Amino acid sequence: MEQSNTNQLVKTLQWLWMCVFILLVGGIIIWISHLIYAAWWLGDVPSASIGISLVAMPIFVVLLSVVLYVFWGLAVRGRGQ
Amino acid sequence: MVETGDVHEEILFRPIEQTGRGFYWTVAVLSVFILWGVVAYVTQYYWGLGVTGLNEPVSWGFYVTNFVFFIGISHAGTLISAILRLSKAEWRRPITRMAEVITVMVIFIGAGQILIDLGQPDRMLNVLRWGRYQSPLLWDATSISAYMSASLTYLYLPMIPDIAILRDRPGGKRKLLYSVLALGWTGTEQQHRVLNRAIAVMGVLVIPIAVSVHSVVSFVFSMTLQPMWHSTIFGPYFVVGAIFSGIAGLIVAMIVFRKAYGLEYYLKPIHFRYLGQLLLIMSLFWFYFTFSEYLTGYYGAEPEEMKVFWSKFDGTFAVFFWGMVLCNLVIPLACLARLAQHTVVKVLAASISVIVGMWLERFIIVVPSLSSPRLPFPPTTYWPTWVECGETAGSFALFALFYVLFTKFFPIISIWEIREGREVGIKEVEERVLSYLPGEVEGQS
Repeated sequence: MEQSNTNQLVKTLQWLWMCVFILLVGGIIIWISHLIYAAWWLGDVPSASIGISLVAMPIFVVLLSVVLYVFWGLAVRGRGQ
Repeated sequence: MVETGDVHEEILFRPIEQTGRGFYWTVAVLSVFILWGVVAYVTQYYWGLGVTGLNEPVSWGFYVTNFVFFIGISHAGTLISAILRLSKAEWRRPITRMAEVITVMVIFIGAGQILIDLGQPDRMLNVLRWGRYQSPLLWDATSISAYMSASLTYLYLPMIPDIAILRDRPGGKRKLLYSVLALGWTGTEQQHRVLNRAIAVMGVLVIPIAVSVHSVVSFVFSMTLQPMWHSTIFGPYFVVGAIFSGIAGLIVAMIVFRKAYGLEYYLKPIHFRYLGQLLLIMSLFWFYFTFSEYLTGYYGAEPEEMKVFWSKFDGTFAVFFWGMVLCNLVIPLACLARLAQHTVVKVLAASISVIVGMWLERFIIVVPSLSSPRLPFPPTTYWPTWVECGETAGSFALFALFYVLFTKFFPIISIWEIREGREVGIKEVEERVLSYLPGEVEGQS
């Protein structure tokens, strides 16, 4: 019983930790999008913001994908096997 | 349960499971410096940047020097580790973890310097709300965030099997922490496949990010028209300097922990010899870039540039400039030219010299140009106060403390990669060498 509770706690913490990472990367992407919007709204060379964001955003998306892939492969699918 | 290794592995668990007096003494000494840094920061927070030596026009001093220096040192880890991994350099196995830890620890300290330099940290909110992507300062914020996240991931992924080993050790501590971080690792073939694929992707991703970070740090200077900053080679010059100082930082960390934790069985003179050779090559690269940078400026003979040029060669900053040349070129050449004997001592001397030299290099890039700007400011110079000295000492001590604390939680040498080297690596290397040699290859015409 105690072992089962511990396992449940471990799984919950792992999911929580993954959510924190998603929120972190999501927050950065939202921040970059906000800066594009601010540049467009102020007429402050939005093309520069868009250009740099086109490089920055995919990096964070790839990073998130790698972490989710590992989490899925080890903690979800790996545990099932 | 994960597989078990040889008896020498116990050395790697000892710092995690036992705490000696040396640890407490180290923490106590480091805490004194950190306390000095805290007092300095509180003073600065309360009274403002007026308590520092910063002035107009020298508005960047120790803090920005430290920022560039620490971000440079951060190249030790992820970049060197990624390059060694991708090139399948087998001697990397005991080194990569230490290198990756340096990156993660130091990049937080480096980014923190900007917060300190802002004076009031709430000014950071302006960057979040109204940052302009035309400014290289914001490119910095973005690329450093990417590097931080990528380095943390790149440190964490290869640690998973080791964390599982700690989780499964009988009588081990912190079971819950290790169980959460191990992500259910049991060492199945499928898990190995997933992890190796992810590490390979991260290795490829992290190299351009690392290069971009220091290029962007250099753009903060080179995108302005300040004398001796507006240079097209600043990007690669900074990257070379970063790798140079990063290797030196890694060597010092390796030697300190080798001595402190008795890791002679793992960190052999051959590792220091290879790293020493890399350091020597980077020293020559650094000299080439420095020579090109200064020769081009001298040949152009633009009056404002020449003021800064001569202040470095023969003026206020000459001591720092020639000190830099001594530390970054002369001493490394003298120490590293012959490494057959006393390898570790020579490599350590060269590395400490390079760390000092690279800090001086960052200083004489930042301060002399601001001391002689194009705008008609009266002649001025910069002298740090105890506040900047305290925050600098505190930052170095905080980095060392983070590093020491890391070693209390996780193995400083990758256990599973050493096992993999023994079980698979030797055979792989043999096959690889055979495939390089002349002869027929199966399946190819």
